Amino acid sequence: MDFIYDGFIKGIALILSRDPEIAGVVRMSLYVSVFSTLIAVFIGVPLGAVIAVKKFPLKKIVISVINTGMGLPPVVVGLLVMLLLARSGPLAFLGWLYTPAGMVLAQVIIAAPVITALSMAAMQSLDRKFYLQMLTLGAGQWQALWVCLKEVKLSILAAVIAGFGSVISEVGAVMMVGGNIRHQTRVLTTATVMETQMGNFDTAIALGLILLAITFLINIALTFIQQRRAAAE
Amino acid sequence: MITLSGLVIELSTGFSLRVDGLRVKKGETFALIGPNGAGKTTLLNALALLQEIKAGELKIGGKDALRKAHRLELRRSMSYLFSRPYLAGGSVYENIVLPLKFRGVKDSGQAAEMLELFKIAHLRDRDSRQLSQGERHRVSLARAFVTRPKLVLLDEPFSSLDARAKESIIADLSKITKARRTTLVLVTQDQEEALALADTLAVLKGGRLLQSATPQEIFSRPASEEVADFVGVETVVPGEVTAKSDNLCSVRAGENTLEVISACAPGDKVLVCVRPEAVSVSWTVEASSVRNHFRGKVLAAVPRRLEYEVSIDCGFRIIAAMTRQSVEGMRLKPGDEVYASFKATAAHLIKR
Repeated sequence: MDFIYDGFIKGIALILSRDPEIAGVVRMSLYVSVFSTLIAVFIGVPLGAVIAVKKFPLKKIVISVINTGMGLPPVVVGLLVMLLLARSGPLAFLGWLYTPAGMVLAQVIIAAPVITALSMAAMQSLDRKFYLQMLTLGAGQWQALWVCLKEVKLSILAAVIAGFGSVISEVGAVMMVGGNIRHQTRVLTTATVMETQMGNFDTAIALGLILLAITFLINIALTFIQQRRAAAE
Repeated sequence: MITLSGLVIELSTGFSLRVDGLRVKKGETFALIGPNGAGKTTLLNALALLQEIKAGELKIGGKDALRKAHRLELRRSMSYLFSRPYLAGGSVYENIVLPLKFRGVKDSGQAAEMLELFKIAHLRDRDSRQLSQGERHRVSLARAFVTRPKLVLLDEPFSSLDARAKESIIADLSKITKARRTTLVLVTQDQEEALALADTLAVLKGGRLLQSATPQEIFSRPASEEVADFVGVETVVPGEVTAKSDNLCSVRAGENTLEVISACAPGDKVLVCVRPEAVSVSWTVEASSVRNHFRGKVLAAVPRRLEYEVSIDCGFRIIAAMTRQSVEGMRLKPGDEVYASFKATAAHLIKR
């Protein structure tokens, strides 16, 4: 049991020492996760809103596909994106394999269905007549959707939190697409796996604690905003 | 303002609405009435361009409303109030200026004018979620009129309000629509509301337009038994025109002969319709210009909202509306023998 305690103490010391290596890994983690969450928000929120309010053929099937997407195994997404970006793959010309851009692409594929499905559910909780009422007041389609989204902003924020949570803690896809290359594509999750495999438990614990702290801080910030708005309403 | 022809709407529920023709003149108040499931809201949704139309023509303000290119422009020339007021989050003021924002127009006093007009100036900064039902309706009306729409569509707009609040809002609504010559299309199940507001009434039932005319015409001269039934013509007697002198038709109904002013001809099979308020009840026949007197037995005297409904069996069932004072003064009770009388001009014939 001592090695756990020692690892814990050494891990905290490592954080306090502001190790540049660890700082680089943290920066890369934040860069990939925040960027991919933002892209997923720009795709998922409008898409979820449109699917929720519009009537079109095969709507139920589209909803089922998106809901299935919420449970996509990251390792499968990683494999798929790696094959697409590989030298003989259809997207090889992008040159994104083992780059942060490739990792962002993989994480967008993981986060977008989560944000789309939760945004869709949020919009479906709003009476469709509210959307129609906005149209009859002279709103264009996007103006009406924007007013509707503002009505369910707390639920949309929950969708963003869930989307971010799904990518910051994800390891399979970034490992396969990014390759865990030092100073280039190494992120907190892949570094933690690597250090654990190498028996460097103190570094692994330090990385794990930082990951936990980041997730906690970002979630607490978003939750604080959400609850403040909820209280105001 | 609105012309509609050959309209066909088919809903996924299997319900279909077919309206051969309908015209709403500029500045008039047009009420759609009918029982539940008649298709009133579906028709109103079609006028608001919210309903997919399978076939037909719809012109609003002379423009082809079925062209997608005209949709936004036409929607911005009208307002639609659902039965429940859907207010957005934020203050009353933010809600009222919403249609202006959608049009990219700055508020240059329109919102303040609406706040005054609908008597909600004191609620200007109140959160829309903290309003009473009546206040929400007023905010919703102010928001609907802030852009000076040429056409306003209302779907049972005040059904959730108590009688007093309803009366007050209807008065304000009438004032503004008359002053601005706004065309109003109203869906209602409340016949008193329809009578109070409408210049023209259209009766819908089972997805078909049964009659469109002035309220007086519809209530006194329903075009069919279904319309008669809906507008409260409770005495409907089947018969045949046996003779005619000038416009006075004699209608044979079983043992009785009824006299009615009508354009029908001898031999026509008809329904004689008499409104309850046109029937008077007495112990004896008094000398008067009234041409129809029938002796019968009182079946029941049932209190209604403001009067009694007295049903009398005269060989056919006739319903009379009487005041409480008259029923009590005559001491009417089931089994009494009385005379039910009505004028030839008070009845109406529908050809079968």
